[in-house]
Amino acid sequence: MALLDIQDLHANVAGNKILKGINLTINPGEVHAIMGPNGSGKSTLSNVLAGNEVYEKTQGEIHFDGQNLDDLAAHERACAGLFLAFQYPVEIPGISNMYFLKSAVNAVRKYRGEEQLDAMDFLDLVEEKKKIVKIRDDLLERAVNSGFSGGEKKRNEIFQMAMLEPKLGILDETDSGLDIDALRIVSDGVNALRSPDRGFLVITHYQRLLDYIVPDFVHVMIHGQIVKSGGKELALELEHDGYAFWAGEEGP
Amino acid sequence: MDLKQLRKNAAADFKARGFPTTKEELWRFTDVSELAEREFSNDWAPASVDFQPLGKHVLVFENGKLSREKSCIDNLPHGVCMGSIMDLVDPRVGRLADAQSAFVAANTAYFSDGAFIELTEGIELAEPIHLVYLADADGSAFHLRNLISCGKGSSVAVVEEYIGRSDPSDRSYWTNAVTEIFAADDSSVDHYKIQRESKTAYHFQTLEAQLGANAVFCNHSIALGSGLGRNDIRGKLTGEGGEAICNGLYLLNGKQHFDTHLFMDHAVPKCKSHELYKGILDQKARAVFCGRILVQQDAQQTDAIQSNKNLLLSRAAKIHSLPQLEIYADDVKCTHGATIGQLDDVALYYLQTRGIDPVRGRAMLTYAFANEVLDEVKCKPVKTRIEALVYEWLEKVSA
Repeated sequence: MALLDIQDLHANVAGNKILKGINLTINPGEVHAIMGPNGSGKSTLSNVLAGNEVYEKTQGEIHFDGQNLDDLAAHERACAGLFLAFQYPVEIPGISNMYFLKSAVNAVRKYRGEEQLDAMDFLDLVEEKKKIVKIRDDLLERAVNSGFSGGEKKRNEIFQMAMLEPKLGILDETDSGLDIDALRIVSDGVNALRSPDRGFLVITHYQRLLDYIVPDFVHVMIHGQIVKSGGKELALELEHDGYAFWAGEEGP
Repeated sequence: MDLKQLRKNAAADFKARGFPTTKEELWRFTDVSELAEREFSNDWAPASVDFQPLGKHVLVFENGKLSREKSCIDNLPHGVCMGSIMDLVDPRVGRLADAQSAFVAANTAYFSDGAFIELTEGIELAEPIHLVYLADADGSAFHLRNLISCGKGSSVAVVEEYIGRSDPSDRSYWTNAVTEIFAADDSSVDHYKIQRESKTAYHFQTLEAQLGANAVFCNHSIALGSGLGRNDIRGKLTGEGGEAICNGLYLLNGKQHFDTHLFMDHAVPKCKSHELYKGILDQKARAVFCGRILVQQDAQQTDAIQSNKNLLLSRAAKIHSLPQLEIYADDVKCTHGATIGQLDDVALYYLQTRGIDPVRGRAMLTYAFANEVLDEVKCKPVKTRIEALVYEWLEKVSA
């Protein structure tokens, strides 16, 4: 059974048609990359999948792990194993990262019918997972993303993903605003989380990220549609020819 | 003037001026006509209200009268004096709070009990002093007068906790308290007020603090109770290097109305006053925040910051926020600001994408909003108590 199955997805934002018939299937263990220029609808797709109510799905069907996503609110999708790493992680002053994570982990465990983690078990889990993205202890004590640098925020996203152990990880332009060292750390973190039963959807502008997180499939998205799909070599073609070629416009 | 004369004059003053009306600038948004029309008695009855002492220095006032049984005034270290103000009458009563308002006048005229606390020079009291005011006598008025005097270089934490019945009741009473605080040079006074009167009660308090050179006065005021209430907090910085921190949190729902009037008077140079007030209002609650900072001509190098932030959880809730700066010195650092808003939808979405349901997410964000004020509470047992009260309030609101 496919992990994620998107059929003819159309979606609007504030009355504007952004997604115009997306078809995409991701199987467990696969890493798919979606590349496309600004405004092509990449982030809209990730938000529709995560259940952001600002985005309105107007047509089509999305099945995640056998469930119709229409039946699940945003928090239920997260509990069911869908994780979105934000392009712009949200700062939440007044809530410590640790408290936030413990609430999230226990919410997900409750949904799955697992026992709640007590303070000691939770700390053990933090110790185990924090190695994956080399996150500093002081960032864990600070308020969620408050005053974090761009790189720290993205690392925190991957750390959260490691803690919540989703079935599908969606990375929305995780590479934006990262320097080369941070990019490597974040990519290593994602690679460490790759497994035969976990899928990834990596959304990016640039081929660069895909040097580190090597995808099984690459899709090109233009004007709300996937115009071409292929293997990882497609990313290199794009890097060479640019998006304009696929958009039917003049090349460089 | 002796106390007897002072009280006689205050009674005459109160009779002459009566209760304030909404035509007066300082009372524009707080209508006390309902209180003015009521009759209150001074009959005494025991109170059946529970409380938990914070530490071992406790004075308990039961329906306006000191209860020696419930209090604990043994084990006081040398240099600390504490008891009923009726036993330890001090010539400083009325020196700070005299004719500011009808409420102060009524208090001066009619006060029948209250706490007296004195620390002599250099005494540092490690545990907090807990002043507990239990009230449940329907139709009674309690005029409570407190005086706290901290000698040079002394240090103390005082908690005033006003408690009514938490179960829904129609018991209506009027607490009218006045607290005068004298903080001598180099002293440190940590003052907390937790107001959780019955939701049908009237609660009014005027707090007057005078700070000497390098004195530090840190005040936290948490208001959850009373149907109609008001805090008047007035600080006077009279010695260089003085520092006043006045923070507060008001959590209101139903038809509660709570008013906070802050006044900080910078009379001398190089003093600091920082004020952070936050409010969370649900249902048809009303709040007023008026913060006035006066920087007198001599008060150069004043550092004054004031901030009032409000979270409205319902469309029917309303806040009047009135920050005011009045500056006559030219070398000062003063800022003020007020915000009124709702919970952040983007933050709520972020929490949801991590598996946290919207009800819990809203409670977490609301708590986070209040947390900035709680963060500053240094006295551990007080912090724990306030945190528990905020949690309990949030649970009721989100239920």
